[in-house]
Amino acid sequence: MTEASNGPRGGSEVGYFLIRRLHSLTGIIPIGVFLCFHLTINATVVLGPDKFQAGVDRIHAMDELGVLKIVEVVGIFIPLAIHAVLGLQIWLTGRQNVLAYRYGANIRYTLQRWTALITLAFILFHVWQMHWLGGWFPPGGEQFVPGQAPKSAAEAIQASTWYAPIYVIGVLAAVFHFANGIWTFLISWGVTITRRTQGRVGYVCAAVGIVFAAVGLSSLVVLKTTDPATLHVEPHEASHAVAVNLDPAD
Amino acid sequence: MADREIQFNVKRQDGPEAAPYWEEFTMPYSSGHNVVSALMYLREHPCNANGETVNPVVWDCNCMEEVCGACAMLINGVPRQACAALVDDLEQPIVLEPLSKFPVVRDLVVDRQRMFDALLKIKAWVPVDGSWDIHRHAPLISPNEQSIRYLFSRCMTCGCCMEACPQFQQDSKFIGPAPFAQVRLHNSHPTGSFFNPDRLHAIMGEGGITDCGNAQNCVEVCPKDIPLTDAIAELGRQTTIQWIRDLFVR
Ligand code: HEM
Ligand code: HEM
Ligand code: SF4
Repeated sequence: MTEASNGPRGGSEVGYFLIRRLHSLTGIIPIGVFLCFHLTINATVVLGPDKFQAGVDRIHAMDELGVLKIVEVVGIFIPLAIHAVLGLQIWLTGRQNVLAYRYGANIRYTLQRWTALITLAFILFHVWQMHWLGGWFPPGGEQFVPGQAPKSAAEAIQASTWYAPIYVIGVLAAVFHFANGIWTFLISWGVTITRRTQGRVGYVCAAVGIVFAAVGLSSLVVLKTTDPATLHVEPHEASHAVAVNLDPAD
Repeated sequence: MADREIQFNVKRQDGPEAAPYWEEFTMPYSSGHNVVSALMYLREHPCNANGETVNPVVWDCNCMEEVCGACAMLINGVPRQACAALVDDLEQPIVLEPLSKFPVVRDLVVDRQRMFDALLKIKAWVPVDGSWDIHRHAPLISPNEQSIRYLFSRCMTCGCCMEACPQFQQDSKFIGPAPFAQVRLHNSHPTGSFFNPDRLHAIMGEGGITDCGNAQNCVEVCPKDIPLTDAIAELGRQTTIQWIRDLFVR
């Protein structure tokens, strides 16, 4: 341990504490919350392309107000970068021993680390494919067209036979990491204390994980198996996104 | 069954800097042996399985009733007390190794000084010598809290929990699970609580409570069934509150 003061007033150790709590918090707020909304909005494609387009329009209304990029960077990418960098650093403080100690929580400890790596790789690929990094990197990226959300997303995912399996793995890894993260978060912050409560809350976290895995996979089934042409939406809706959004009857 | 034997495979090391090597031993079977009594036999008959006379295997032990913690070692890969490991219950050959997370002194003897240093660091005592009123009578503790505190008071500093913890390494700063049980124990004593901020600050830095990864192996292997993970979660709560308190009163 550091030679920090351990007197009644504390010392430099408090900064370390804050950073670790920040890592923990960013996993839930905002990243975890983003994941829930993201997968849920994507899944509205199951209800029909118009529903999904309406959800995307509502978000991209911020684009016309000029704040979407700011919200994305401050609300998603910066917290994600903080969480990922600290997470990789935390990974290096431990040495997995799951082969010698095959207890449930130790298996989840190990999976928490490997799903983190898979999620990191997936997010880099995913953001390249759908979004920003596409402008910089190999062609084939930046496929998502906000005004043609269901069609362009389906085209992106069907562009290679590899993509659907990559998405299945990415969704399952991210959802496991999130669901197990809720469980460890509640312990880290001292909400669930006894083994009995932790056991019960474990079932709740598992249920949350199963629900979001199903939600995430359902949108993939539609986007993978539907002919993109049939997912075409009338383009005028997107260009009037702000008006649609501000319509009190909406 | 005079020809039955007890077989051992022991990981030996002649000194702190020497290279480890494996040596096999066999001894005549007799019922009721535990690993310590078998090692005592081998000390009287220091003869390896090839019939060569060798230096007897060195180990540490004391109480012979699983309360002192001295004879902790890896027995068939499991960290536990040699005195409480009954030969009749073990698969043969019985593999004996020193705990891997502490420096080896010789053969099965390790130096667990780091655990005692941690107890100093976290002030694992009740401060009775001070310029304060230490209560004219013994302070009251509710019977319920007494019975919980009793669980934590049984720690014998054996190091099994440290051995199983993926976050505790010889070269890492993490103080390991056992000291947290003692913070939990002493913080809940009316006089011991005078040092609560000191103890909490001592575990809020690098190597402290936030370095726990919730693999929970500690609680699985602890021979005294100490609810280590309850202590860790409880201290997650206490440190969070201490951190908020520091924000305002420091
Ligand atoms: C992008 C790469 C990511 C990396 C490298 C990463 C790494 C990690 C690591 C190593 C832990 C364990 C921390 C510990 O044991 O103390 C962790 C915990 C966590 N992660 Fe991630 N993670 C990533 C992405 C995500 C994402 C996308 C989410 C949300 C969906 C997330 C949510 C969480 C949560 C909630 C925790 C639990 C925090 C706690 O126990 O207090 N992580 N992460
Ligand atoms: C069901 C599978 C998924 C589909 C169909 C999907 C689809 C999309 C689409 C279409 C975009 C572009 C949105 C836009 O530009 O407005 C996007 C962005 C993004 N997705 Fe996904 N996604 C999926 C799963 C995931 C998962 C599991 C994660 C991991 C946490 C994730 C993280 C992100 C991030 C970080 C962005 C960039 C967000 C932004 O720029 O605002 N996605 N996704
Ligand atoms: S908590 Fe249990 S395993 Fe850890 S040192 Fe104490 S008695 Fe040994």
